[in-house]
Amino acid sequence: MRQFVVIGLGRFGSSIARALSEKNFEVLAIDENEERVKEMEGIVSQAVVLDATDEKALRELGVSDFDTAIVSMGETVEDSIMITLALKEMGLKQVIVKCKSDLHSKILKKAGADRIIFPEREMAERLAESLASPKIFDFIELSKTHGIIEMIAPKKLINKTLTELKLRTKYGVSVIAIKRKLPYSKKDGTTDFKEEIIIGPGPDDELISGDVLILLGSNVDLDKIEKL
Amino acid sequence: MNAVFDDLIELSDFYILSQKFEEAIKVLKKAEKIEKMNAKVYYNLGIAYEALNEKDNARDAYRLALKINPEFKSAQEHLDRLIEE
Repeated sequence: MRQFVVIGLGRFGSSIARALSEKNFEVLAIDENEERVKEMEGIVSQAVVLDATDEKALRELGVSDFDTAIVSMGETVEDSIMITLALKEMGLKQVIVKCKSDLHSKILKKAGADRIIFPEREMAERLAESLASPKIFDFIELSKTHGIIEMIAPKKLINKTLTELKLRTKYGVSVIAIKRKLPYSKKDGTTDFKEEIIIGPGPDDELISGDVLILLGSNVDLDKIEKL
Repeated sequence: MNAVFDDLIELSDFYILSQKFEEAIKVLKKAEKIEKMNAKVYYNLGIAYEALNEKDNARDAYRLALKINPEFKSAQEHLDRLIEE
């Protein structure tokens, strides 16, 4: 079971600590501010009031036993740098740091941060992407190069079986699932539909109008299929 | 009631049940020309558009169905769900 330490319990830090705990991960939440720590009590495995720039205190708390740290210190970039350095020195495998500017991100990388995140910017980019192509509902990033998208089956692919479509050979993407609206007659004579999810569809499954495809592939390949 | 109109509605039900949503929309557009004030036309249009993920059109159609028959429970349920999304 992976263990996470979240340092800085502002809006971002507390949300991520909460989300990880909901996924049943062990989470240690740290902040200088007593009130913020109190709010996390009972939600995360352990919540501690501590000045995270105090390396000795971090070591005493056993932070070095954790796999991943998420540093979310708000405005104070100096603190983020100090904490990142200390955490890498303690041997944490992954240190993720929230950041606001490109300059800070360069410094943090030099300090050993494994991943820099710009929550506001990333949210904005995601939103812009979804507004630019309304066909796509969602994108899940698996790595920097690969992801999963949910998209309405393009007209070109309709009424053909997966064997005929050869999506993997032609476009390099795999169909993980198909979301389909299944119509039925109601007792009052009206028609309605239920949503059905076909997970791991077979080669003979045929796509029909309105199907939503959940596709896995590289970003480049997914981009190509979106443009069909 | 117009016999042709009834046939068109029945045909649209058939198309929807056979997942031929585009065909359903075509016959419903014909039905609409014959009888404008029929909630079932717009409800079925809503269903077909929703199945095709054309959510704006689906919302408009359900709204029209409810305008004609404010008691149309299924139309209200679908509209509520689409508005939530």
